Amino acid sequence: MATLKNIIPILMLFFPVATYSQKDVWTVPPEKAAKVNPLEIKPKNLTVGKNIFSRNCVACHGAKADGQGLIQSASFLTDTFQKQTDGAIFHKMVTGRNKMPPFGSVLKDDEVWSVINYLRVLVNPSVLPPPKDIRIELAASEETHSLTAFLTTADSVRVPLGEVDVHYYIKRDFGLMRFGEISNYTSEKGKVTVSFPDGIIGDDQGNVTVLARIENDFLYKNNESAVVLRWGSLLVTEDAKFNERTLWGSRSKSPVWLLILANGILAGVWGVILYILYNLFRIKKAGKIFIK
Amino acid sequence: MTDLYRKDEEIKKEQFQELLSDLTRPLNHTSLTFKIWTGFLLLLAAGAGFMYFRQVQQGLGTTNMRDIASWGLYVSNFVFLIAVSLVGSLITAILKLSNVRWATPLTRISEIIAVAALISALLIIVVDMGRPDRLWHIAVFGRLQSPIVWDIITVNTYLVLSLLLLYLPLIPDLARLGSFMSHKPAWQRKMYKILSLGWQGTGDQLKLLEKSVAVLMVIIIPVAFSIHTVTSWLFASTLRPGWDSTIFGPYFVAGAFMVGAAAVIVVMYLIRREYSYKQYLTDHHFDMIGKLLVLTSLVYLYFNLNEYMVPGYKMKSGESAHILGLFKGEFAIMFWLVQTVGLILPIILLVFKPFRKPRPLLIISLIIVVGAFLKRYLIVTPTLLHPFLPVQNYPESFAHYHPTFSELVITSGSFAIMALVVTVFIRFFPIIPICETAHEKGIDQETINNQ
Repeated sequence: MATLKNIIPILMLFFPVATYSQKDVWTVPPEKAAKVNPLEIKPKNLTVGKNIFSRNCVACHGAKADGQGLIQSASFLTDTFQKQTDGAIFHKMVTGRNKMPPFGSVLKDDEVWSVINYLRVLVNPSVLPPPKDIRIELAASEETHSLTAFLTTADSVRVPLGEVDVHYYIKRDFGLMRFGEISNYTSEKGKVTVSFPDGIIGDDQGNVTVLARIENDFLYKNNESAVVLRWGSLLVTEDAKFNERTLWGSRSKSPVWLLILANGILAGVWGVILYILYNLFRIKKAGKIFIK
Repeated sequence: MTDLYRKDEEIKKEQFQELLSDLTRPLNHTSLTFKIWTGFLLLLAAGAGFMYFRQVQQGLGTTNMRDIASWGLYVSNFVFLIAVSLVGSLITAILKLSNVRWATPLTRISEIIAVAALISALLIIVVDMGRPDRLWHIAVFGRLQSPIVWDIITVNTYLVLSLLLLYLPLIPDLARLGSFMSHKPAWQRKMYKILSLGWQGTGDQLKLLEKSVAVLMVIIIPVAFSIHTVTSWLFASTLRPGWDSTIFGPYFVAGAFMVGAAAVIVVMYLIRREYSYKQYLTDHHFDMIGKLLVLTSLVYLYFNLNEYMVPGYKMKSGESAHILGLFKGEFAIMFWLVQTVGLILPIILLVFKPFRKPRPLLIISLIIVVGAFLKRYLIVTPTLLHPFLPVQNYPESFAHYHPTFSELVITSGSFAIMALVVTVFIRFFPIIPICETAHEKGIDQETINNQ
């Protein structure tokens, strides 16, 4: 009887969430729901959670976690969601159902817990202190082809900041390409080094813009620093091919044979049409002469 | 001697008078059936107009065309109508140039069917556009490399040629009408007068007209072939299973001659019944065009054999899903119905003379027309449902195509507009050539001129 008493409130709790997209209820075994979150709500694991959320969850659940992503999905901002135990949310994330993939195979347990922590903070941001300004400097090493970001406080004392996640990007034509690890934490000296990947194509002189960014952090405001390096290979554009007259070319690049053929046929046929119209005119003229 | 000659002349004159009053009967007489028929067509056209207005307002979402099946009933209908329009060149040009005498009373019927089908085809292809207000872009930005641009050029050229081939042989008849239709309202008589270009039937005029018609008949044949070949290239120039075929041009043209002949038979039958034209559209005419229908059907059967047997034997990985879908999958019932009832059965029946009598021939022709329409649908849609690029995570409904009510109403409206063009033409112009029939009955030019 005791287990039944436990199940019924849980069932009632899940019912509205489940009916949102499906008519059946997503039940979580009570022993799973009772599982305790081992992770404290700390800026570092919140950053991990936020990064995982923006990589794996945003597509369906939306950037605001309100369920308005590419498909209609559950909102994480509702009371019905937030009233669940951490254990219940953990079970759902790990096992998945219907369109919700099982993330147990992709994420480590700690990562799942950090996402749950992030979702908790989302509806209650006041538990965190306001983010502080940060200074970031990016330096490149020619001999090792690596980049080092140096983080300090923004004031004149410039205290090195450890344990901050730095994201590295290479600027491309239509956006930014991420490189380095998913998380690159600074050492106690406030420094973190990543190596520059091989085979990157730069502009026609081999120039590449590299960015180091502080983003999605809960302690510090977003900031970035950029350097331009000559580490890319040269960009070769085959303009000559685009200037050829081809079947796939633009309107002004029609092949000559096609122009001659098509316009020749058109001229021939419409020439005949004009000739017939001229004949009609002559018929009319011949009729007038007869009346006289 | 003179008396005998005079008598002969009198007889000819009387004959021509009778012919004239017979063949202008549709212009003077509107039966209740005719009125109901016209009303029905107007109703269908109005329904389609309303649905199209709704489609322009709400967008192509009112159709069931989606990402995968982006061509549906409208494009099938376009291909079908272009096919029907080819009959104008078959009967008016090919048969006439081969000196086939029995085709004379059918020339104008087939030519007006061609014009009406082309007008309807041009309308339906605009209906298929999501942004018809950008139609002019094709002239300003169109690339000569694209088969769609060729299609627009050839269809419009063929429409001009068809109108000319309809109009030129009509000129002598119009001149007769101007004097014969004195009881008609002034605007109608004025229309006949302007259109007849002051025709007097002089030697010069006759010579010019004959020469122009002869040139037209020659030039319209390659243009007719080109419009349906180019329409087939819209499909065949892509690398998709079911469309990636080298025989698509002749395959489409052969199918077009078959459905066109069937369409002419249907219209012939209706005209013969409504105006009691048994002596002009005789059983012999039905028998002959029935034979023509067997011939064109056999050619089409031969192309069908090639089109399905060869890829069906090889079953290339890309094609097999498409071919199996037709042979025993989603489209199997429609496919085999079209091939057996719509193609093979008519051939077998039409070989026997009793089935080439007007009424059985009408029923067989109706079946062929319906079969031909479904055949165009089978060419357009199943291919689209098998995309070459791997697609995933799309809604289940995208994998199938069933036309919406709106699409069905607009499509039937396009048939109504086609029938309406033919109907209005019959009401104002002689559908069976007067002067040409008179010539064939041995009435000389002088009698015709002096009437």
